[in-house]
Parts: sequence; C-alpha cells; structure tokens
Amino acid sequence: MAEKPEDLNLPNAVITRIIKEALPDGVNVSKEARRAISQAASVFVLYATSCANNFAMKAKRKTLNAGDVMSAMEEMEFERFLQPLREALEAYKKGQKGKKEASEQKRKDKEKKNSPGENDKSRDEEEDEHMDDEQEGENEGEEEDVEN
Amino acid sequence: MATTVSELDRSGAEDEPRSAEPEEDGGNGQAGPIAAAQQHRLAKLPLSRIKALMKADPDVSLASQESVFIIAKATELFVEMIAKDALVYAQQGKRKTLQRKDLDNAIEAIDEFAFLEGTLD
Repeated sequence: MAEKPEDLNLPNAVITRIIKEALPDGVNVSKEARRAISQAASVFVLYATSCANNFAMKAKRKTLNAGDVMSAMEEMEFERFLQPLREALEAYKKGQKGKKEASEQKRKDKEKKNSPGENDKSRDEEEDEHMDDEQEGENEGEEEDVEN
Repeated sequence: MATTVSELDRSGAEDEPRSAEPEEDGGNGQAGPIAAAQQHRLAKLPLSRIKALMKADPDVSLASQESVFIIAKATELFVEMIAKDALVYAQQGKRKTLQRKDLDNAIEAIDEFAFLEGTLD
C-alpha cells in the first residue's frame, strides 16, 4: 500500500472540531478554508517529523523520541507549543503507566481465574497475546516500528 | 491558548481499561493498539494516521509512541493557531466566515507559517 504524503489526510471531522473549538461562537469556516487547514496540518506533520528526525540522526539514534520533537518545535519557531506539549506528555506518560498496571493487574486476575481450572475460555485470548507484547515493550517510549 | 490537559481528558476518570480491544498490530502499523487506547483521551487526532504520515518520510526508521503522540498534539495546537490567526483577517474584512484567502494572508504574514508557502493546493 504505497501511500503518497499527499494522500494522507487527517480526518475532516476532527480537524473541523479543533477549528470550531478554537474560534468564538458564531464564526463559520468555509469548506475551502477547512480543506486548506487540513492540508496545512498534514504538511506540518511532515515538516515536524523531518525536523525531529534530523535531531535523532545527529544524536546517532535510529528512534525518533519525544525530545526530538520538542527540539523540532523550537527549531520551527513554535516555542509557544513547548509548555502545553510538556504537560500533555506528562499526562500521556501517566496514562501509559496506568494502562500498563491495569493490564498487568488483569493478567494476574486472569491467572488466578485460570488456575481453578475454569474452562471459561470466552475471554479475550487475544488480549492475552497483546499483553505479552506490551510487557516486552520498553518502559520509556515503547518503540513503534515505523520501518520502511 | 488554554490547552490544559484537564480540558482534554473529558472522558473523565477512572474507567481505565475500556480498552475494547487492542488490535494486534500485524506489522501494518495501521490500526495498532495506540489508536484504540489513546485516542479517546489526550489526542484528538488519530495516532495511527499521524504515524502513517511520519512513515512517509524515507529517512524515518523508528519512532517512539511518545513522539507520535507529541506530534499529534502539536498538530492540534498548530490547527488552533492557524485558525485563530486567519480569523484576524476575516474580521478585518468584516466577515464572520473564515475563507481560504484569510489562510493565505496569515501564511504570508506570519513567519512561523513560512514553511507552508507553496504547499497548499
């Protein structure tokens, strides 16, 4: 599935929502303006990625990390984003931690459940496999395979 | 720009694993566990789509989940910013509807948007 960058758009509904929430009530947005903003957003992602990747490469890392993105924002002159991004990242990390603990807890519960020999296989066997993967993932920045 | 985290965390609360179902990422990277799990919380834009865009860059090999999230979040901030900046031009024109030309004006006038010049249809 060879997708060209031009073909990858962000979902209109979400873009529209973000725009609406940023503007005061009573303001409308033409379809063309919305489309242009959506395109601009895609370009932004590509540009930010490229910039961030440069930092990763400079540091001889193959994996792009959050720090690289922060550096990219600075480089792109979007310093105003840094603070909100840092806060969001903190919340995200906490959320990740919570999920990991939750899935570990689930797994423990499951083991307890399975031992009495219950044949109740109904529950997500898939989930079990998935959790294996999660366990293997590194703590900090689980890597997503973005390999080309 | 009051994009506080609490504002985004609307699904409010402790209903943690509503993980309906973490789809296994079969290597395609399209709808991975990230998309399912995080989307309803802190990022409005789907991480899977963001990641797909990142993958379009041949120089990018691996990207941490966090970096994908941060780029998604930054993109959201970017959309907010450009919409507000364009609005100024609409208002100057005494309009209540944001139009394409307002975007063009903002792009031309604002340094941070210089990278957009010549990129939009």
